[in-house]
Amino acid sequence: MSASAYAIEGVDMTRRFGGFAALDGVSLAVPHGEIRGLIGPNGAGKSTLMDVLSGRAQTWSGRVMMDGRDISGMGAVERRRAGLARSFQRTNIFPDLTIDEQIRLAAATAERDNSDEVMAELGLADLAHRRAADVSYGDQRRLDLALALVGRPKVLLLDEPAAGLSMQESMVLAGILRDLAGRWGVTVLLVEHDMEVIFSICSRVTVLHLGKILADGTPDEIRRIPEVVTAYLGSSVE
Amino acid sequence: MTDIVAGAPARSGRSGFLAVLVVLGAAGCVLPFVVQSALILTLMTQATINAVLATGVGFLLRQNGTVSFGHAAFFGLSAYATALLVKFGFPAEVAIVMAVVLPTLFALALGVVIVRITGVAFSMLTLAVAQAFHELFLKWRELANGDDGMAIAFPARVFGLDMAIFQQPASMFLVCWVALIAVILGLWLLARSRFGTLTLAIRENEERARYIGYRTVLPRAIIYAISAAVCALGGLLFALYNGFVSPGTLHWSLSGEALIMAIIGGPRLIWGPALGGVIFFFIKNAAGDFTDHWPAVIGVIVILVTVLMPRGVGGVLVWLGRRRNGGRGE
Repeated sequence: MSASAYAIEGVDMTRRFGGFAALDGVSLAVPHGEIRGLIGPNGAGKSTLMDVLSGRAQTWSGRVMMDGRDISGMGAVERRRAGLARSFQRTNIFPDLTIDEQIRLAAATAERDNSDEVMAELGLADLAHRRAADVSYGDQRRLDLALALVGRPKVLLLDEPAAGLSMQESMVLAGILRDLAGRWGVTVLLVEHDMEVIFSICSRVTVLHLGKILADGTPDEIRRIPEVVTAYLGSSVE
Repeated sequence: MTDIVAGAPARSGRSGFLAVLVVLGAAGCVLPFVVQSALILTLMTQATINAVLATGVGFLLRQNGTVSFGHAAFFGLSAYATALLVKFGFPAEVAIVMAVVLPTLFALALGVVIVRITGVAFSMLTLAVAQAFHELFLKWRELANGDDGMAIAFPARVFGLDMAIFQQPASMFLVCWVALIAVILGLWLLARSRFGTLTLAIRENEERARYIGYRTVLPRAIIYAISAAVCALGGLLFALYNGFVSPGTLHWSLSGEALIMAIIGGPRLIWGPALGGVIFFFIKNAAGDFTDHWPAVIGVIVILVTVLMPRGVGGVLVWLGRRRNGGRGE
C-alpha cells in the first residue's frame, strides 16, 4: 500500500544560476504507474528539473518527495537505492565494460537482480559480452535505459532517451518503455523532444516554459492549448 | 593519459594467464641455479624490486585512471619504517609487517581526501605529499641521519630465517620474484572481482556509477591504498636487501621513474608495469655503461613507446599473442 498518491512529487522547486531562474517555483506530482511527458523548448528548465529530482543539482530550494517521503536531503546514491533511477541527455554508460558486466554491476545495488530479464527485454542479451564502446549507438541508448531500469526502480526519470535515434528506433524504444513501465509498475517522467514518442506513450504531459509550468493535461488537451502550440509545438502537430 | 589505459582490459583468457604466470614463476625460481654471476643476480634482484614498485604505480593508473608522481613516498616510508622500528628496539618481524601496514593505512587515510580531486591537481598533490616526506627525512638528522641515510641493524635471524637469505643476491632474487608473482596474481584476481569491475566503472564514468547506486570515493581510496601497499612491499624488499635507506627512496625522481616503467610496460595490463620495470632497469644499466646521459636514452625510449606502442610493450606482446592464437587473453 502506497503512503502517497504520488510516486514522485516536487514542491515549489527553484534553481537559479546567478540572476537567471532555470526553475521558478515549479510544483509537479506524478501518480504511481503514470508515464508523464515533460516538454518545452530548449532552456525551459526540463533537465534542471530532472537534476533537482534526481539529486544531481547542488543548490536549489523546495522539496522532493517519493511516495510521500521527503528525499530532499538525499544525494544521488541514496535516491537510487530508494528506487529513483535516471538516464541522461547524453549516452551515459561505461564504454570499457561489457554490457553484461555493467548491467550486473547496476543490479547489485538493487533489491532485485533482474539483469537477465532487462537484457532480454531490451534486446541486449546477444550483445552481453561485447564492450559497450563496440556496439552501435542505438544499442548504447538501450544500454543506457537498461542501466536505469535494472532492479525495477519505482520511479524512472528519462532525459531524452530517444535522442539521436531514427524515427523507427524511437518508436521501438517507446514501445518497450510503455510495455515495461506497465508490467513492472514503474512511474516514468519522460523528457523528450520527439512528440511522436511523447504523445504515443504518455498519459499526461506537462509543458515547461522559461522555468515555469505553462500547461498540464492529457496529450489531446495539450495539443489544443494555443499558448503551447505557439511556444513549442508549432503547426506540425495540428 | 586516459588513452594509455583505455580499451577493454582483456578479462578473458583466464587459464592462459595463469599458465603463463606459473611458467614465469617457475622459470624465475630456476634462474638463480642457472645464472652463476653475482653481478647479474644483483641486477635481477634490483630489477625485480623495481618491477614491484612499477606494478603498484601501474595498478593505480589502470584501476583509477589517475597518475601519481608520489608513490616513491610509500616505497621510502616502508624502508624508513623498517629502519626506525628496528632502531627503536622493535622486533624485526614487527618492523617488517609494519613496513607494509603503516604506509598502507596512511595511503588509505590520504586517499579518502585526495582521490576526490582529479587530473593534474591530483598528480601535483601526490608529488607534494611525497616531497614533504623527502624533506622531512632529509632535514631531520636526529631521527634518520638526514642525507647520509640509515643503516638498518637487522638481527641475525628474522622469522626464523637466516638474515643472509635476504641479503645475498641468489636467495633474495627468489624472494623478490615470488613476491612479484604473488602481487601480480593478487592484483589480477582483484581486478577480475566485482570490486575490480566497480573501480573500472568509476574510472570510466564516475557520475554514472553514482547513479547506479555506488559511492565512489572509498573504492578509489582503497585502490590508492592497495597500490601504495604494493609500493611499500617494494620498499620493504629494498630495505631487506640493502640494509640501508636514504631520502633518495622518497624522491620524486623515483616516482617519475616508476611511472615511466609503467608506461613502457603498459599500465592497461596488470603485469605490464612489471615488464616495464625490468626493461627500464636493464636499459638504465646498459646505457649507463656507455654514457652519463642515460636519462636521455630513457627519454627517447619513452617517446618511441608512447608514439609507436601506446599500450606499451606488454600491449604489443598481447597483440602478437592474440594474432598467433586467434583468441584473447592477458
